[in-house]
Amino acid sequence: MQINTENNQTALRNLEIATGETISDCYQCGKCTAGCPASMDPSPSLLIHLLKLGLFNQAISAESVWDCMSCLTCSERCPKNVNPAAIIEGLKRIHLNNMDSEINLHSLGQEFLAHSTQQAVVSGFRKFV
Amino acid sequence: MPEKMTHIPYYPGCTLKSKALGYERSAKDCARVIGFEMHDIEKWNCCGASFPLTKDNLMGLAAPTNILVEAEQHCTERKIDAQLITLCSFCYNTLKRTDFAFKEDPGKLKTLNEFLDRKYHGNVKVTHYLEYLRDVIGFDNLSKMVKTDLSHLRVAPYYGCLLLKPEKELGLDDPEEPVILHDFLDALGCQVVDFPGQVDCCGAYLIMRNPDKVLELSHKILDEAAEYGAQTLVTACPLCQSNLDQSEVVRGEMPILYFTQLLAIALGLETEHHQFDTHCVDPKSIVASCQKFKECANAK
Repeated sequence: MQINTENNQTALRNLEIATGETISDCYQCGKCTAGCPASMDPSPSLLIHLLKLGLFNQAISAESVWDCMSCLTCSERCPKNVNPAAIIEGLKRIHLNNMDSEINLHSLGQEFLAHSTQQAVVSGFRKFV
Repeated sequence: MPEKMTHIPYYPGCTLKSKALGYERSAKDCARVIGFEMHDIEKWNCCGASFPLTKDNLMGLAAPTNILVEAEQHCTERKIDAQLITLCSFCYNTLKRTDFAFKEDPGKLKTLNEFLDRKYHGNVKVTHYLEYLRDVIGFDNLSKMVKTDLSHLRVAPYYGCLLLKPEKELGLDDPEEPVILHDFLDALGCQVVDFPGQVDCCGAYLIMRNPDKVLELSHKILDEAAEYGAQTLVTACPLCQSNLDQSEVVRGEMPILYFTQLLAIALGLETEHHQFDTHCVDPKSIVASCQKFKECANAK
């Protein structure tokens, strides 16, 4: 996914193509936010609202996208079949394509890695690198 | 011991061969007693752990597709139904969702087959070990195999996220009010502690970036389980086990078991090599408190 964020409308359309989501389907009921165990702030519904308003850069620079654990609670509960977790992952990918890794691999340490499960490390690489 | 073992192809995944070896060993030992033999598929690779949520990320499907091809070949060579059993919730989720993605969009399958230069025909039924116990063995039958008295044990079933969500694609159980682990524990004869945090996220892979958040989320789950009277908590996911176990170590009260470790105890198996000693919170007292039925009778 390569998205040029200079033009909001184009960026939004490309995000929709990449994620397979229709952002305008969201009617801001807030169910995703109410169920979010990560207590994301800005919340999933606010991130989608920012996108709908064309404030693309504000949405992708929100620190809270990195708090998402892809638990899919939001996606499962959405009454409009929007998949907020996929939209958030789309925002993460745009970030990662334009900058360095979101975690400092060198700072993880041997002891941490010795205690970590392989699936956490692999998932971490998929989501943060 | 059953006369004829059913041959079941099994995908271990990376964690089951290392950190969660006790999970795999207990599952395989129990299977043999129940009547099926889990065979590792010949050439397997990591599934990628997390299913790519963005639709255009086909590269994330390459690893699980390779596994599905291997499973299909394994079954074709042995002339058995194409299926694949898994233990880890992440592997289950990734493999089953990949297969579903191909059913929904055959174009993706074509692209992946061309890219890998292999041929997946889309026939593999991905099954979780719990699902196999419920749907093929039957929890009623399982309860008849129990040889250990667990009636004193208050056990909290913890599902986590990826075993159940998304329901449309996995179809294992209701993601909000699941019962499969409840029914499993019921079959083993323990007291099932139904608690609100059973489907809450433990923090999952956030452990790589924000361990404090994982600690906070895991503590909330453990506090709730303790408040509702649980002595131990069972899970099907190695990452949930690890996050909860490492969070509980501060308090050191509630051991976190894999459901198959408890099953092995229930079936009266030798559990020495099931790696209870690798858990942060030692389950020794729980294991020691479980006595076989005939021993109970003798004691009386």
